[in-house]
Amino acid sequence: MANKSLKKVQLKSLLDKIAGSGQLIAPIQSDGITLFKPVQSGEGVVLDYQNAVIPPKDFFFPQSEKMFSYDTSDPTWAIKPEEGVPERVLFGARPCDVKSILLLDKVFDAEFRDDIYIDKRNKTTIIAVSCNDCRHTCFCGAFGISPGEAEGADLLFTDLGGRYLVEVLTDKGSTLAAECSDLLSDDDGNGPAAKEKAVAPAKEKQMNIDLEGVKAKLDNMFEHPIWAEESLRCLGCGTCTFICPTCHCFDIVDFNNQSSIGYRYRCADSCQFANFTRAAGGHQPRPSKMERIRQRFMHKLRYFVDRYGDFGCVGCGRCLEKCPVNLDIAQIINKVKEVG
Amino acid sequence: MKKVIENLRETAARLLQNKEAEVVIGWGLGSEAVRTQPVFITSPDNVDKLVWNPFCVNGLTKYLSDLKTRPGKIAVVVKGCDSRGIYRLTQDNIIPRDKVVVIGIPCAGQMSYTKLASKMDVSGQLNDVEDKGEDLLIKTSKGDFTVKKSEVLLDKCLTCEHHNPVVADHVVGDTINTCPTPDNYEEIKKFEAMSTEEKARFWLSQFERCIRCYACRNICPGCTCRECIFDAIKPDWVGKEINVSENELFHLTRAFHLAGRCVDCGECDRVCPMDIPIRLLNKKLLKDCKELFNMEPPGSTEEGGSVLGQYRLEDPEEFM
Repeated sequence: MANKSLKKVQLKSLLDKIAGSGQLIAPIQSDGITLFKPVQSGEGVVLDYQNAVIPPKDFFFPQSEKMFSYDTSDPTWAIKPEEGVPERVLFGARPCDVKSILLLDKVFDAEFRDDIYIDKRNKTTIIAVSCNDCRHTCFCGAFGISPGEAEGADLLFTDLGGRYLVEVLTDKGSTLAAECSDLLSDDDGNGPAAKEKAVAPAKEKQMNIDLEGVKAKLDNMFEHPIWAEESLRCLGCGTCTFICPTCHCFDIVDFNNQSSIGYRYRCADSCQFANFTRAAGGHQPRPSKMERIRQRFMHKLRYFVDRYGDFGCVGCGRCLEKCPVNLDIAQIINKVKEVG
Repeated sequence: MKKVIENLRETAARLLQNKEAEVVIGWGLGSEAVRTQPVFITSPDNVDKLVWNPFCVNGLTKYLSDLKTRPGKIAVVVKGCDSRGIYRLTQDNIIPRDKVVVIGIPCAGQMSYTKLASKMDVSGQLNDVEDKGEDLLIKTSKGDFTVKKSEVLLDKCLTCEHHNPVVADHVVGDTINTCPTPDNYEEIKKFEAMSTEEKARFWLSQFERCIRCYACRNICPGCTCRECIFDAIKPDWVGKEINVSENELFHLTRAFHLAGRCVDCGECDRVCPMDIPIRLLNKKLLKDCKELFNMEPPGSTEEGGSVLGQYRLEDPEEFM
């Protein structure tokens, strides 16, 4: 479908319309923190945010979710699956976060198909919004991501001042655009050029991190002293992994509160926690913070590449900003290149 | 500031040289201009990595618990607020006092990274910081920035009880004579005036955000249990599921475990990625313990232990 255009003043009407016909998830601010939440209308949706503290990953792979419930007093021991999500629209995902969802697809919708993840993917239309500005911790360019492209999204909005350029990227996007056709007009043809200009600051301002040679170097760095050295200051908290748009490790737990009725849930787990690898009988293959931080950086920059042909990081910069001890993946990348 | 850095490096070099300490834990330059990162210096040749500036926010005492099995003594650099963590650890028998060499730095206040990042480009490398009285001149590779100290000071530094460390084997820097400004708990009084429903509404909306990363616990010098209740698998006292009920259980249990023990360093607040005002819970318990038992901020003196771990006949018991 040809590019569309949306007057900025009409955006709220568009979001109201979407929220009126299904579930709308959008970034809103409360207590000074921007988070994606289901909203009833376009009211209060923030548009000038740079990155939500928690990535929209949570709507595909929630930090905690019920898988099914059971009742052992039921003679058939029937397992009651959870109801899936309603049809919904995720508005406002940034290009890095959209890319992270494509990376999660490689994990949850490839060799192994994860039904509860796929249900959410299938029922969600993603409206990405280009970045006109970025945080000082952003480095998506290192991973070939552009602040003005969002492969994986269904529609891409770019703020051009008085209007949004609306690029229709998929059939799903086309359907949604058709439903909102009363609010959209055809782009006058100047959109793509204006977009390049609009996203230029985000390209220029972001950190310039070069990954050339990093993977090959890491292939031979499992025993390198850098991990012991960098791990000293690590607190072993789960901040980096829980705010990461690509981290996807989880634990599965049964909850039954001493009765016959219970449910099984899964929840995000962190490779930085000691319990993460603790095995039955007490064996601990990653006994210290050294093994745990090595795992985190190796997983992002080496193992994910080996397994899926892509880096497991999108340069969103969340962990750089939030790590309480300034254990900064961009700095680690640069150090890996420097060390012998 | 330059003189303090010189003294600090000289002291660290001497300690390492004379084998009076095997490692010195201090602050080094971070990956951004207004951040520092904890550094662990083991050779006198590397003491130049140590810095002192208004961005040395991290409390370093918890690392003593990580490194306590290393041979030799451990030197750690502390500010006033952090120094109370030393006595927390020794009173809790986590590490013997004679295993630790305390390097104390009098501190006039530390600056918030979040506040600074909203006022200047923090992405460069730090070249120099000059104290200009009410302002700070921050010289970075991305340019020079002048910020008003009062606008970027960490909130906790507004009510500082110990500008000077309560314990130090070596003091680097001049004693600060500014009168301490103990908290008069104005904010807590506001909460106390709220109805139970209002308090519940406030706290549940805060706890709802918690992602249970445990950064607050892991930075805390009072959280040193061999097996933390939140890590226990059998029985699993607190479920791993993230919901407001489990999150509330986590926060309230943690607050009670620290009642009468929290040294009020404020690190839990700083490290929380979700900006949950965790310190408010501890503050309420500090206020109660102060009013009921006339408690000094825990960790202020070598003796003491936990006020709730002691019994006196004259203890108030009006709740009974």
